[in-house]
Amino acid sequence: MNLNEELKKIIVKDLFLEDITWDQIEDDAPLFGEGLGLDSLDAVELVVIIQKHFNVEIKDMDEGRVAFQSINSLASFIRERQTS
Amino acid sequence: MNRSAPVAITGIGCLSAAGMSLGENMASLFSGRRRAAPPVRFSSSHPCPYPVFEIPEDALSNNAPENKSVSRTCRLGLAAAIEAMKDAGLEAGQFAGLKAGVCIGTTVGSAMNNEEFYRDYRSGMHPDMITIERFLQGNPASVIAREFGLTGPCQTVVNACSSGTDAIGIGASWIRSGMCDMVIAGGADELCRVTYNGFISLMITDDLPCRPFDRDRKGLNLGEGAAILILESDRAVMKRKTHIRAFVLGYGSACDGYHLTAPSPDGRGLTKALADALKESGKAAGDIAFINTHGTATKDNDRTEIKVLREMLPHVPFVSTKGYTGHTLGAAGAIEAAFTIACLEAGMIPANAGFILTDPELGAAPVVENTRIAKKTALSDSLAFGGHNGALVLGIEGV
Amino acid sequence: MSMGIFISGVGVVGAFGSGIGDLKACLERGAAPLITQGPGPVYRADTSRLEAFVPKKSLRRIDHFSQMAILGAFLALQDAGSPSLAAGRTGLIVCSGYGASQTTFSFLDSVINDGDACASPTLFSNSVHNSAAGHISILLKLGGPCLTVSQFGVSVPSSLLTARQWLHEGRADQVLFGAVDEYCDVLGYCWSRFFGEDDMGIMTPLSQERQSAVPGEGAAFFLLSKDKQEKSGYGAVVDIRTGRLEGEAADFPGGEAIYFLGADGHKDCDRLYRDMTPSGIDAACYSPLYGSLPVGPAFDMAIAALSIHEGKIFASPESVAGQERYRIIKEPSAMAPESIVCLKLAKKDEYGLITLKHG
Repeated sequence: MNLNEELKKIIVKDLFLEDITWDQIEDDAPLFGEGLGLDSLDAVELVVIIQKHFNVEIKDMDEGRVAFQSINSLASFIRERQTS
Repeated sequence: MNRSAPVAITGIGCLSAAGMSLGENMASLFSGRRRAAPPVRFSSSHPCPYPVFEIPEDALSNNAPENKSVSRTCRLGLAAAIEAMKDAGLEAGQFAGLKAGVCIGTTVGSAMNNEEFYRDYRSGMHPDMITIERFLQGNPASVIAREFGLTGPCQTVVNACSSGTDAIGIGASWIRSGMCDMVIAGGADELCRVTYNGFISLMITDDLPCRPFDRDRKGLNLGEGAAILILESDRAVMKRKTHIRAFVLGYGSACDGYHLTAPSPDGRGLTKALADALKESGKAAGDIAFINTHGTATKDNDRTEIKVLREMLPHVPFVSTKGYTGHTLGAAGAIEAAFTIACLEAGMIPANAGFILTDPELGAAPVVENTRIAKKTALSDSLAFGGHNGALVLGIEGV
Repeated sequence: MSMGIFISGVGVVGAFGSGIGDLKACLERGAAPLITQGPGPVYRADTSRLEAFVPKKSLRRIDHFSQMAILGAFLALQDAGSPSLAAGRTGLIVCSGYGASQTTFSFLDSVINDGDACASPTLFSNSVHNSAAGHISILLKLGGPCLTVSQFGVSVPSSLLTARQWLHEGRADQVLFGAVDEYCDVLGYCWSRFFGEDDMGIMTPLSQERQSAVPGEGAAFFLLSKDKQEKSGYGAVVDIRTGRLEGEAADFPGGEAIYFLGADGHKDCDRLYRDMTPSGIDAACYSPLYGSLPVGPAFDMAIAALSIHEGKIFASPESVAGQERYRIIKEPSAMAPESIVCLKLAKKDEYGLITLKHG
């Protein structure tokens, strides 16, 4: 399972997304606002989820805002942090 | 909201990290003294120790001896109530013939979240049930009522961060309606590892001492404490021939209906709460000496709060005292009401601790030094999780 | 009725089902509803009917505690004829004895399982007592005064005082008032530690011999106003009292009032009802239909409203123990009650009394 797929599955499960399956999430669709419709509470939950599953820390929401643009941006953020 | 009669406040008690009495608190505030440090009573595994405003155990023991059958929140509430009763010249047993009730705001004080008990339970051990018994006997309003032998209504308000403000507003309405001659009203909350972890998880805590309204603010620091106001009816005041310190002139409560943890950007709930409180008091913006804000130092709170205050009370000085006490959750509204009255009495408001740089997005700055005030009326407001907003108009005219 | 408050809608959720119709059917059966087993027997509530009111997507992060409350609120509004709610003039009060306890422990799970840095912010924000009120205010787009109260066994009469205050001081034109408590495994564990294992699951309130309380969960909501409600027929709350009895005799109304006793099988508290209920009165007890929970008085209030509406007193379940000093009504009575006094005597010394009458 590649990282994008893993992220999508985790997001659907841990954020309790009812009306969408993981394979319906597009790699470059916005996660917040219009796209998946996630909000500020989901954002901080996502920080914890990333810490728990990938042991990558997001220090503040300025960092988070960049990482959470899309599945693609989140995946590359994690890869970058895991190799450094 | 109709115009309502003022409700007398005859005694005040207050404790926080800034002091073990109202006088000690105000001395800290006016000297600009504050002490935020990593928690002592509990530890965590966060890489960064977020500072808190904790009451040292030896200081608390002087005012409220260790008592294992009562929660720390109740100890704090009782200590503040004892100071308030003394201030009002009241002794236990003086309530015969008076209908007396208790209305207290809290968050931790009503939460069954004892981590030690739960860890033991989860690991299959059979923990001592004293923790549960203490919880079941520890409703803050009931504990205070029992301590002083009061037989009127008890209400523990759990409106998150506006609980203290709401408890005072509700207590005042009990007096006005004739339901009570006296109400012990206020709030109490202890520092606790569970809420510590909870607020950190929301990423709204600062790893430095908090900076309300500052451009570079990063969030809140938690605190603990309690404050109690003794509210009395005209009948009780005349019967006891007691002095009056201040009045509750108005109270407003309104919800945003927007989000569980963030205030609505348009500040609609706060706007309504302030408007209703002012309307009930018969006062206008021009009568207000200052505003004791909620000012937690989170990005969202301070932004929303200042937006509303600039619209409704554009030239009124404001201050957050959370730079001295931290965010004391259910106690905050009551502690801030106590501070507001003390400031009116002193004719002065303290500098907003933690503020250095104006945030251009806010377009307003709190007072940066001790500032003289001449008017006799002030506002204290609170914004809470769940989108609740509460506001009190307090005054010393005619005392 | 200078400080009366009128009931225009009732919404209830419990083991008996959801909605006033299910409650009425359960009362008419006189039979205990389905009991599902936790560590011991439990009266559990099902909230699947909520999807008729709120899209599943909107319930995404909302826990069982809040879902019961939301369902109760929507059912009350539906029962009232779905009136439009002036956002800024509708108050909201929710009371609970234990709050969102399951979510509180789930939050602790996140800390214990994965460390402090992995504490779940979603679970934390839902664990605060006022989360249910927060969710309801968001879903109904309310903007008036809002309050959550926790006063254990007298949560209902205590917070009802504030509902009455708000209406009579003009703070709100209507108040959506409700109560909710949930069951969780920790509560079941504490139950077994305090009271031992109960294999029977039959509540026998007011019995001298047995500790028979079975934990329950659910929500009961009411739409209240200051103005008489011709259509609802639920009558009005005409008296609310709560406080502490300290060595003094209780001054509970006698006369023609019918008492609904909040006895719920806890031996220590049931003794109080045997001793302190006025002698010679007619009384009923319905707790075997919804279980033992701090906000039980809200269900008694709902049954009282329903009784006034129907013009009859429902029989108490067979398992309620008969009394010597007063009569437990064991057969349905067509008599229209003068007034119904819902009495709750909580452990130690706290009491709450809510009196309903024809409007």
